[in-house]
Amino acid sequence: MTRVEIDEDRCVGHGRCYTLAPDVFDADDVGHATVRTDKVAGDLETQAVDAERNCPEGAITLSP
Amino acid sequence: MCRNKCGSRPRGGIWCHPDRMTETEGFVDQAVSGLADPQPMYKALRESTPVFRSPQVVVLSRLADIEMALKHTELFSSNMDAVDLGNIRPLIPLQVDPPEHAKYRRILDPLFTPREMARREPQVAALVNEMIDRFADRSECDFHEEFAVPLPCTVFLQLLGLPLDDLDQFLEWKDGVIRPEGASGYDGRHDASAGVAQQIYDYFERAIDDHIASPRDDVLSAMIAATIAGQPLSREELLDICFLFLIAGLDTVTDSLDCFFVYLARHPDHRHQLVEQPDILPSAIEELLRWETPVPGVARVAMADVEVGGCPISKGERVSPLLGAANTDPAEFPDPELVDFRRNPNRHRAFGGGPHRCLGSHLARMELRVALREFHRRIPDYEIKPGTQLAYTAALRSVESLPLTFPVATR
Repeated sequence: MTRVEIDEDRCVGHGRCYTLAPDVFDADDVGHATVRTDKVAGDLETQAVDAERNCPEGAITLSP
Repeated sequence: MCRNKCGSRPRGGIWCHPDRMTETEGFVDQAVSGLADPQPMYKALRESTPVFRSPQVVVLSRLADIEMALKHTELFSSNMDAVDLGNIRPLIPLQVDPPEHAKYRRILDPLFTPREMARREPQVAALVNEMIDRFADRSECDFHEEFAVPLPCTVFLQLLGLPLDDLDQFLEWKDGVIRPEGASGYDGRHDASAGVAQQIYDYFERAIDDHIASPRDDVLSAMIAATIAGQPLSREELLDICFLFLIAGLDTVTDSLDCFFVYLARHPDHRHQLVEQPDILPSAIEELLRWETPVPGVARVAMADVEVGGCPISKGERVSPLLGAANTDPAEFPDPELVDFRRNPNRHRAFGGGPHRCLGSHLARMELRVALREFHRRIPDYEIKPGTQLAYTAALRSVESLPLTFPVATR
């Protein structure tokens, strides 16, 4: 399983992650990202990797 | 001795290549009066003088430097000294830096989330189709005049809950502050824009009164009702937000639509891909935002003596992180000259980054998505009228006119 984390200090609400990986990330009421599923594998992991690579602020960390 | 205009000694050898300076300066001069294809300028700047001092501003063109400048608002402030639009107080939230900035974004961000914008989408789709109806049978249109300009302006009026009859007045004001007549460079701007700015303040004074008297489901009513630590926004704060919305929300989507449709008219293969594979639209929009970067640069001012890429920048100097150059930097984008609608990852900075990340980015994305979807559904084939010379406007990349011809459209 891969662990998903967001650095709240870095997130400024580009919204790329919850658009590209809606099953892994969600938006809070200001549009900043929150983690919906914090341990992922398979399809969800693919989504999480996509989001991590597309975050303009480098705010997402995936770890084993 | 460094022969660059900075007059300083080169450190690290990156930013002084006198033989390439003339070419770069030529590009920068052209950029001031509008540039059809800015990407070669970005490349030349990045490769020859990634920290380029023009008489008015220090231009940053490497993604790493730009990202640093956007993040570090304590060094590169977005305050009133960065750009003068005739306003008498800082525009909110653009010209207020962290930490104070956060309290305004806490109120404004919820009004512009992707979810909130999705709620407005059907109304925008109806509007887009009404606009297409007006020229669909004519087999030609001026896309700029009849679509790219009125669409974002009408959406803005609807969003704020303002009378649609005010459209023409808004367009005049927007141009009056963004492209004031008789202003050249930074220093003549205040006087050239101040008269129009006062009219904008007066208009929003009345609009705020009206919304206080009769609240409704719109952004202005939500701002009036919002509180920060139990306190509502002051009248001045509301005005300073409205003023910024007028500047930031109208022209930028016009610029994007112009840039995108010029590109798609000239690249039929890309256009066919959109028509045949509608699922590609969201990522195509991100790629067009990257390649075209309709807002090519942002304005900052140095808050201290700093050094970027070996180049000293003095406190008080204006600095422009060139977003378009960041978006074509090979350090981030493999084959940056290739426009690939399936590009992934695509961490473009067309909406900037850091604390001042474009508040309206999700509104812009929604407007662009609906516009491209509906237009291509009804008018899949079009070309720029033969013989047209496109004239790009300065600073923000719209065209003065975009005549398109097409077979008579279906409904």
